[in-house]
Amino acid sequence: MLHFAAKRTTTLVIAVVVASFAVFLVPYLTPGDPVRKIIRSRVAGEVIDDSSVRQLSQSLGLDDPLLVQYIRWLRELISGNMGLSFGSRTPVADQVISAMGVTLSLVTAALVLAVVVSLPLGVLSGLRPGSLTDRAVTTVTQALIAVPEYWAAPLLVLVLAVKLTLLPTAGWTDPTSVVLPALTLALRPIAFFTSAVRTGVLDAAAAAHIQAARARGLSARQTVMRHVLPNSLVPVSTLLAVWFAGLLGGSVIVEVIFAIPGMGKLLFDAVVNSDIPLAQGGVVVVVALAVAVTTLADFIHRFLTKTVGGPVA
Amino acid sequence: MTSELVIDGLQVSVQSPVSQKAGTLLVNDVSLSVAPGEFVALVGSSGSGKTLTALSCLGLLPKGLGVTGGSVTIGDLEITTASERELNSARGGRLGMLFQQPKRMFNPNRTIGEHLQEPLRLHQGVRGLRARAKALDLLDEVGLHDPLKSSKAYPHQLSGGMAQRAMTALALAGQPEMLLADEPTSALDKGLETQILQLLNRERHERGLGILYITHDIRTVADYADRVLVMGAGSILEEGRVEEVLRRPESSYTRELLDAALLAPKSRRRPLPAEGPVLALEGVGKRFGRKRKGERPALEDVSLSLGRGEVLGVLGQSGSGKSTLAKTIVGLEAPSTGVISRHLEAGQPHRRTAVQLVFQEPHHAFDPRMTLGTSLHAPLISHRHLTPEQRVEQIQTAMNEVELDPVLLDRHPGQCSGGQLQRATIARALLLEPEVLICDEATSALDAVTQRRILDLLLNLQRSRGLSVIMVSHDMDVIRYMCDRVAVLLDGQVIEVAATGDFFTAPQHPHSQALVSASIPCRALGAWDAAQSRSSFLNVGHNAPPPERFDSSPR
Repeated sequence: MLHFAAKRTTTLVIAVVVASFAVFLVPYLTPGDPVRKIIRSRVAGEVIDDSSVRQLSQSLGLDDPLLVQYIRWLRELISGNMGLSFGSRTPVADQVISAMGVTLSLVTAALVLAVVVSLPLGVLSGLRPGSLTDRAVTTVTQALIAVPEYWAAPLLVLVLAVKLTLLPTAGWTDPTSVVLPALTLALRPIAFFTSAVRTGVLDAAAAAHIQAARARGLSARQTVMRHVLPNSLVPVSTLLAVWFAGLLGGSVIVEVIFAIPGMGKLLFDAVVNSDIPLAQGGVVVVVALAVAVTTLADFIHRFLTKTVGGPVA
Repeated sequence: MTSELVIDGLQVSVQSPVSQKAGTLLVNDVSLSVAPGEFVALVGSSGSGKTLTALSCLGLLPKGLGVTGGSVTIGDLEITTASERELNSARGGRLGMLFQQPKRMFNPNRTIGEHLQEPLRLHQGVRGLRARAKALDLLDEVGLHDPLKSSKAYPHQLSGGMAQRAMTALALAGQPEMLLADEPTSALDKGLETQILQLLNRERHERGLGILYITHDIRTVADYADRVLVMGAGSILEEGRVEEVLRRPESSYTRELLDAALLAPKSRRRPLPAEGPVLALEGVGKRFGRKRKGERPALEDVSLSLGRGEVLGVLGQSGSGKSTLAKTIVGLEAPSTGVISRHLEAGQPHRRTAVQLVFQEPHHAFDPRMTLGTSLHAPLISHRHLTPEQRVEQIQTAMNEVELDPVLLDRHPGQCSGGQLQRATIARALLLEPEVLICDEATSALDAVTQRRILDLLLNLQRSRGLSVIMVSHDMDVIRYMCDRVAVLLDGQVIEVAATGDFFTAPQHPHSQALVSASIPCRALGAWDAAQSRSSFLNVGHNAPPPERFDSSPR
């Protein structure tokens, strides 16, 4: 276990370092001189003379070797300083933290919804493969996979907010405003989770030891509760983590459509406005969180599967 | 109250879930009884309906099958009409069951101790600390040395023998009156098999446990069973006391079962060929991965030769490097050290296809999505320049040679039996006209009767085609039956090479001596052996193997 933990933690650190270096390089890869961009962000509309460019790049340490600059940037990043946003002239860290809070609640709501819906559906269809329920569930969830968010979102708004006026159409003001975006975001996870739970249940129920459990006198129900369900959920836990990590940066469309001040919206705006510090800070945080969540999932998976460890003498 | 298990006129059929109409009859009019303290053996080759009979006793037939006639009673309980609640209390309570492949019969995510809690709670009403203490007692009773450690272990941490002991503890936990044992030792080696049988035998004497022991191999039970029933194609063909059945088998099927179980040493003795060897290995070694301290290579300094027309046995236990040796000779693995030289017929000195391999698991040796015909065309297309008509002709000839119905060419592997597939594997190897055939545990996955048929086929082919054969096996009987010479492999090294007769009468190396002494056939089979050698005076010439009667049903 210790070996496993050390290995996973090492991969985590390496992944974050590599990603942060890539993020650090972004300004150098985008067209245009970053120094001129900085000056332009501070004093709009004026002609920039070469001496002030040279002066600023010297004072910012931009003449130092790339690696030195990267380490300096990383050190600042670790201490929580991500610089000032070009657009709002406020610290990037504050904006990223507040946007991350919004996205975390949105993604959590969506995934909780997805699990709550897909678990019973998957179990129902997995326990009776080929039944009418199974075929209905499979067909509907397969169809959901193909539904794009920019199509589902307006449809849901039209029905639930405009026609039935049950929920607000957009924004991020009261608790009810989380429902529609979370629902939109949950559609695809629902489809994938349901099919994963179904496969998990099918596999677990087909295992040889299930018959042995029945032969010990466990009723069909007891067998399902004790031996089928717990075993079928192991693969789902991994899937859940992958989706969580993916949605952190992947909720862009939904956040833009519903005007939610989350991570996706923040990154979208940062890119559109060439707000380099904001984009850098946002991406680094998303990557770090995503890697942390997948690592956590590895630990959970390791904890749930017992088929590790040497023979007993 | 008597707790005798009585099966009377049992019929099991394929049942369509819609029409409830009975289809193919899989178990036909089986009647048997097991009294408390009695050990009854049910013997038959795979597909004979043994397992279905046992599952009927628990009311646990697979979906799509159903009891369509007869009755099964344990004591006063009629299983075929019992309610689900009554069945649940009988399963694991009055009727315990042992399965083949014990490790797969445990939930991989729960400890042995957690498994034992279930029958204790369900059938004894014991929970908590008392259940835990009881579980340790049971594990101790079945001979697990460290009950506490075993109860905390997960199934994969147990060896096969330990897992079957734990399974026995699990079956005994509900204090059953009757034990259904479905090939519980077929996956274990001889030594472990004996231990498990002794354990079961003790339980029946101490507890008065009745045992219905299902096996395809009559050798395993000959020393323990009171009565034996022979089952073939869904019906009981013969029944009686063990000695009687062994001495005077009535049905030809029983005789074949016994023949298959015995595998009498082969009588033909030819002088070893004077010609040079067809294959020679000199100092062959194979190491996988990087060199690590204290780690032995898979093969070390192996020197062997195979004479033209010779059958050489390579004997070794699992992990001894047998399969690596086979792969290295064929060329699937390159040797790390040493030289393998081939001395093939003139005119084609470098023909790669001259050495062919027959695999252990016939079901894994074919692409499941291809028909057998497609699989058999593949080697011809890659290696021989033939017209499609010629290919079809060649395949027909090969199918005839291995005595397979050409109809099977249109089937997929999943629709064929193990015996049929192993014949097809051999046919595929023959298509490339090999001079050397290497059989890597080619019959280990098959039941005794099928094994015998395949071995006889190989012997026939070896004679008719003048093949040189290497039989790689852990099975002493197979080696003795087939081979002219034996090479014993231990930890990747050849420790002994001897003529088969000499090897079995006077093994030199201590490891060989241990192997030979463990392989002495059981006492009761001596009766059949003696009867057989008397009658063999009447049989002149070679008996061709009978057509595949019980082997032809798709799996």
